[in-house]
Amino acid sequence: MRKIAVLTVVAFSVAMLFSSLAFAARKTIIKIGINAPLTGDIPKVGEGTKYAAQMWLEDIEKAGGLEVGGKKYDVELVIEDNESKAESAVKANTKMISQDDVLAIIGPQSSKQAVPAGEVANKYKTVMISPWSTNPDTTLDRPYVFRGCFLDPFQGPVVANFITDEFGFTKAAVLYDVASDYPKGLAEVFKDAWEAKHGAGSVVAYESFTTKDTDFSSQLTKIVKSGAQVLFTPQYYNEVPLIVSQAKNLGWEGPIVGSDSWGSAELVELCGEACYGLFFSSHYAAAGAKGATKAFIDRYEKTYGYTPDDVAALTWDSLQLAQQAIQDAGKLTGRIEKDREAVRDALTRIEDFDGITGKMTFTEEGDPIKCAVIVKINNQGEFEFYGSSCP
Amino acid sequence: MGIAKKFQQVFSTVPMLGWFLGILTAVLIEYFWGYDYISYYLGLPKIPVLFGALIMLKEPMMIPGALAYDLIVYVIPVLAVAKLSSVFTNPGAALLEKLPLWLSAVIHLVCFYAILHLWAGINDYRVLVVKLTLVSIILTVSVNVINGYQGEFSCSHPGFMALGAYVSSILTLVLFTNDKIFGTALLPPSLGPYLFPLVLVAGGAAAAIGSLAVAIPSFRTRGDYLAIISLAFMFIVKSAVENLNFIGGARGMGGQPDLAPLPVIFFWTLLCIWVIHNFVTSILGKALNTVRDDEAAAESMTVKTRKTKMTAFMFGAFWAGIAGGLFAHVLTYINPGMFSINRLAEILAMVYFGGLNSIVGSIVGAVSINVLGEALRPLELFKWIIIPLILIFVMIFRPYGLISFTEINAKKLLEAKHKRQQGVSP
Repeated sequence: MRKIAVLTVVAFSVAMLFSSLAFAARKTIIKIGINAPLTGDIPKVGEGTKYAAQMWLEDIEKAGGLEVGGKKYDVELVIEDNESKAESAVKANTKMISQDDVLAIIGPQSSKQAVPAGEVANKYKTVMISPWSTNPDTTLDRPYVFRGCFLDPFQGPVVANFITDEFGFTKAAVLYDVASDYPKGLAEVFKDAWEAKHGAGSVVAYESFTTKDTDFSSQLTKIVKSGAQVLFTPQYYNEVPLIVSQAKNLGWEGPIVGSDSWGSAELVELCGEACYGLFFSSHYAAAGAKGATKAFIDRYEKTYGYTPDDVAALTWDSLQLAQQAIQDAGKLTGRIEKDREAVRDALTRIEDFDGITGKMTFTEEGDPIKCAVIVKINNQGEFEFYGSSCP
Repeated sequence: MGIAKKFQQVFSTVPMLGWFLGILTAVLIEYFWGYDYISYYLGLPKIPVLFGALIMLKEPMMIPGALAYDLIVYVIPVLAVAKLSSVFTNPGAALLEKLPLWLSAVIHLVCFYAILHLWAGINDYRVLVVKLTLVSIILTVSVNVINGYQGEFSCSHPGFMALGAYVSSILTLVLFTNDKIFGTALLPPSLGPYLFPLVLVAGGAAAAIGSLAVAIPSFRTRGDYLAIISLAFMFIVKSAVENLNFIGGARGMGGQPDLAPLPVIFFWTLLCIWVIHNFVTSILGKALNTVRDDEAAAESMTVKTRKTKMTAFMFGAFWAGIAGGLFAHVLTYINPGMFSINRLAEILAMVYFGGLNSIVGSIVGAVSINVLGEALRPLELFKWIIIPLILIFVMIFRPYGLISFTEINAKKLLEAKHKRQQGVSP
């Protein structure tokens, strides 16, 4: 026993002495934190985030580091799992800021984590860009918090206008999850926008259910009977197939329109032909994309074997924004507080940033002004660009 | 085995005070030399925050460095100082022994807090982990009153926590902050820290009143009914909050003032442990145990079983409400999704892991599940395989949890240890 103990100690000391890490001077490394839901309710979102981040890092490494003010710096990603829980997202942010000294944080994706995590980032004066969070509170009164996507108050009217212009309908039905923050918010915004256009009472059915419900027949029967011409359902990709197939079984014949939460590769897999020909609003369309967007999609497909969701594309854009801001900051002093502030100032100055999900300029709140895309699920089950709407 | 025995023999002469001194030395070493010298020469980017667990799992290259750091900063100084200082810490402990036990305990606790504060203060991430762990301790001890001492199976603790969190958050938002839901503050925000205890108690009281909704219908019977009713209660609270738009609904409620710094939470945790300890060792607590073991016999021995059960249930719910209030003010954001089935699983894991019918067990359970959960986070998905596996093994080998049905004897823990050395049998 004693021999083993002594041997272990000796082995460790030798390993320490000859390890390349010992006595190495601390270098200035640019660290970017990724706060992603790798486990928990929405692991697919976390996976997309992680993959996009790894692709970005690959590019940087290929270029031999990130050049800031004529000097190349090594870049490191700190990927933390927030378990899709608010308190874990707060812990992850605190850890990355106080322990890992990250220069900027990308994430968390869902609003329920991004709102409390944004508080932490703002408190410690560190730039945080949430690629996917649509809740206005995420960036409200927080100078250090930004986002990479448009907000619900913009998306709702876009969908309402699209339906009116495309089909000329005047009566709409809404089906949404009352227990989930995002669908509920968007349903409300859509209702307001629709009624502003077509007069009070033009939303003839406004039905709700609770997360994890799988039977929507009573709500859908009401919707079918209400005489609505179109059904708007801002639900997640795992619920949409159930809603669509049940609606069709109950005799619904009108179009069903959705929002950016539909935009997952899983949707068509789960839904099959029932979803062909439907429309939803989103951040970008994979099929028929051009230029940098196409390059990103092709590369992602080649590396990971499936078409990237909008989360991956938005994460990619957020990382590019962070990179741009770091480079615009001019030079890194090595004093992390100062550098973070410089990055924040540079980020607010970015104008007409050309991302793969469209051109972006930040408002004073840290929300981007960018276009929404209307996507059609074509007969091959691909997400096809149909039209776009800009503010 | 030989080494362990020898180790125990050598260090059996160190009193609690000696260990404190050792840990204090380690923390001071870390505080003054940890970043600039020790971690620098060991090639570590920074002070390893949770004894290097995070960095070791993330970058295996750092394992020797992190282990060496632990050895240099923690293991060697703690052991050396504890052993060498026993020359004068033992007389010190003997001196304290002459004081009343409560005073000696208070002195020890103050020392403990000072060390904890210093250790956590090195990094803000540590502060957050310690805060959430302390909140978990309150929660676990309060569940133990119902699931352990009372022997029922209650599932409504997330619901009580939600009640406490929402009521106290609404109060602080109405009283001390200008926010967009409730408008301008009614009282000057500087009063916040002074009135915060009242706010917390109000949250706890709300939870206790809410618990009546479970207690009144379910304590007419025994067995599984409580589990089902309490589970329903949890979902009722969650759905109710989701549908109440004026407190944010599913979007949640944010912007609570930061009224829960580490000392405040530590104080409440101590208060909770002390009060619950007194409760379960009181006549009422003994009555509660008899009700658990045999309700008919207890009734025939003039124990008012129904009243006893209701009191204990409300008492447990009250402390869950306090924990909820503290939790809300640590995170400064709450949403109904936080107080759902996941939280329940976490709470029950802490209670059954640590041990039923024991306050020390609850503390051990809360601390170990929290620290494990934090330390294994870099493993991502495998974390959710390892922790349940540990739980299964605990259930197989210690069906009532790690430390169950026992309490630590404070007097024995704090006494001077030199008597044994002189051959006086303990």
